[in-house]
Amino acid sequence: MKKITFILLSFITALSTVNAQKGIDFSRTYAAGGKLLMSVDSSAKNVYYANVFPNQPRTSFNYLPDVNNVSIQIYFKETDSVQHYRYTILEDDKPIVVNKSIDQARLADVDRPDEVFRSTSLGVFPIKGKTITTIIYSIEKPLNIDKAVFYGKLISRAKILGFSKRFATDKGVDYSWITDLKEKTDFTFTEKDDELTIVKDRSVNDYLYYITIKDRQTNKIIFESTAWQYGYYVEDHQFLPYVKIDKSLFKKSGDYEIIIQPLIEWTECRDCDISAEEIEGYITRHTLSVTVDEVNYTKKELLLYSLLVGFLIGLVFLVIIYLNKRKNKKRLAENEQQKNTAKLQLNSIRSQLNPHFLFNALAGIQNLMNRNEIDKANKYLSKFARLTRNVLDDKELISLSQEKTLLDDYLQMEQLRFGFEYEINHSEDLDLANIEIPSMLLQPFVENAVKHGISQKATDGKVIITFSKQANDLQLTVTDNGNGFDPVKKTNGLGLPLSESRIALLNSIYKENRFTLAIQSTTNGTKISLTLIDWL
Amino acid sequence: MMRAVLVDDEISNLENLRILLEKHCTQVTIIATAQNVSDAVDAIEKHLPHVVFLDIQMGEQTGFDVLRLLPTRNFEVIFITAYDQYGIQAVKFAALDYLLKPIDIDELMTAVHKAEHKLAAQIQTSQLDFLLQQLKKPETHVSTIALQMQSEIRYVTLSEIIRCEADNTYTHFFLSGNEKILVSKSLKEYADLLRPKGFLRTHQSHLVNPKYVKSWLKEDGGILLLTSGEKIPVSKPNRETVKQALQRLW
Repeated sequence: MKKITFILLSFITALSTVNAQKGIDFSRTYAAGGKLLMSVDSSAKNVYYANVFPNQPRTSFNYLPDVNNVSIQIYFKETDSVQHYRYTILEDDKPIVVNKSIDQARLADVDRPDEVFRSTSLGVFPIKGKTITTIIYSIEKPLNIDKAVFYGKLISRAKILGFSKRFATDKGVDYSWITDLKEKTDFTFTEKDDELTIVKDRSVNDYLYYITIKDRQTNKIIFESTAWQYGYYVEDHQFLPYVKIDKSLFKKSGDYEIIIQPLIEWTECRDCDISAEEIEGYITRHTLSVTVDEVNYTKKELLLYSLLVGFLIGLVFLVIIYLNKRKNKKRLAENEQQKNTAKLQLNSIRSQLNPHFLFNALAGIQNLMNRNEIDKANKYLSKFARLTRNVLDDKELISLSQEKTLLDDYLQMEQLRFGFEYEINHSEDLDLANIEIPSMLLQPFVENAVKHGISQKATDGKVIITFSKQANDLQLTVTDNGNGFDPVKKTNGLGLPLSESRIALLNSIYKENRFTLAIQSTTNGTKISLTLIDWL
Repeated sequence: MMRAVLVDDEISNLENLRILLEKHCTQVTIIATAQNVSDAVDAIEKHLPHVVFLDIQMGEQTGFDVLRLLPTRNFEVIFITAYDQYGIQAVKFAALDYLLKPIDIDELMTAVHKAEHKLAAQIQTSQLDFLLQQLKKPETHVSTIALQMQSEIRYVTLSEIIRCEADNTYTHFFLSGNEKILVSKSLKEYADLLRPKGFLRTHQSHLVNPKYVKSWLKEDGGILLLTSGEKIPVSKPNRETVKQALQRLW
């Protein structure tokens, strides 16, 4: 607390008029608060004069630990009604002068360049180990009592008597106490606790002391107070001074230092010679080791944590996206692999043109050569080459017109062996050149029709193949007029079972379009319908 | 009258071709045959034929070597090959004619007619130069295709083809710069050639260069919006394939 400059301070140094009383050299004079000046003996040291304290506006405190005698003078302005003033002097708590008027006859004028004062002495007092208190007021304003304390004793070091914490109960609140204190106290705030109370010992001048709490981790003062309260804490029939501190002040668990010390400006004094150790002698320190069960966050921490959480969420999100992408990629790759496998299998099936047919076809051409039917032999040889090429080409898709050529070639080769008839019909609205189908799709069925259907019937046999459009579906049929077969019973030829597994493979490749196979077989013939759904 | 030189390393193949030509293509006169590259070069330089029937694979050498050794190539070439093998893809990209062994008489006659037409119309082409250039690079680097139009050959880089659209057995090429070319081959044939180059067969009538695909519209089950603003349908059977191909690209 800053010293307040009193009106008299301005001329302290100039004063030497009233000095030499009772043989003591009172050469050093200080403002002492209110209308008072004090002079101290020449051997005095460490004069902490005119300290004022919060909530004590009319009290001034002069700390005189190393002074033997003090002379107190009172000064009045010319405008003051001196006759109305009364003064009381106490030595410790014993009054030695009570409500006495000022002896106006003894007032002497003191000239100042700008103003004239009238002054008189209130007495010279031995101060060592004593407290002299003056109380001065005007009867015109009896409430404005100026109190000055001349403290010749040592200010005692404050003592912390105990801590209590308030906690919520079913009925309201209750307190728990820690009174047997060592240098350090462990203190736990649970969720129910809300308040810490620190109780100090009672002293004559509690207002002298102030309390600070320092966070040891940050070295920051988190609490400072001079406002001692007096209440429930009673010892020897006296209320004890205490301060209450909200739990929220203790943000984190850790050590906090409680410091109680007199509010004296140790360095701002005249003729001071006080060491740091001596000052430390006035200071009470106590370590409070706080454990906060419930974590309270500051806005900054909250921001930091929410940022952290946001970052983590973002990270998790990224990881999920990444994993998802990788999964998709993997799935895509797996799909592709599956498709590739299916395609490979399809290729191997596709190239299984019946060797029986191949060699018989060659024999047929040989026969033509031997019969000297050169043109015919050429024709069939070309057909045979084209057919074989189509089988060897691992083309996945061929156009309908290529498929038609392939079937033409095949059927003409077979015609050479068996004299049946055949037709390949297609509906007009089909763009044969550009519609593609998987290659070698129909050939196995046609081969089946020739082999099982009509090979015995010779010239009476007939195979009809149709390509037609049914809405968006492409329908391919192979009809023969043979003796039929039981579609459930597996035939020993390669054709049909291979075709079925081919269709299963095709369905696994073209997932969006389905290939369906329908077989109707009677004794009058067999009709195979292959439908490519949504193909067009 | 078309003067022809036949080149094949097997005598039986030469004989066979001679018989077929004499019987079915009487407008062709065989003036020389050769069974290896140097004989072929000599024969061609000496006889200046209208047309050369050129086998691709001849032992260690190829029919392409014959062409490389000739400074001027003022003749039509009909390539002959047994099976899809080295160079046939380049031949297709150059829009040159080729026959497969054993020779189909109808195809032979068609090829001869085409050569005859080109000679009569005096269509000068640089298809052979183009072919030889293409053969210098690996197949995956081929980036130009020859398109046979009514009376000229157009060389088009693949990157300038926006899309192709089928018109029965004809194909329309839509090129960047708003150009449209009609070619007398089916879309299917170009699809087979250009699919390995990344082109997408989105529909039975459409082949699209993915470079020009702006976005996939979900309307009507799937439509590709091209940078040209055109909308190309994606038919159901092709949807998955097209989607996956675009996913890989994007």
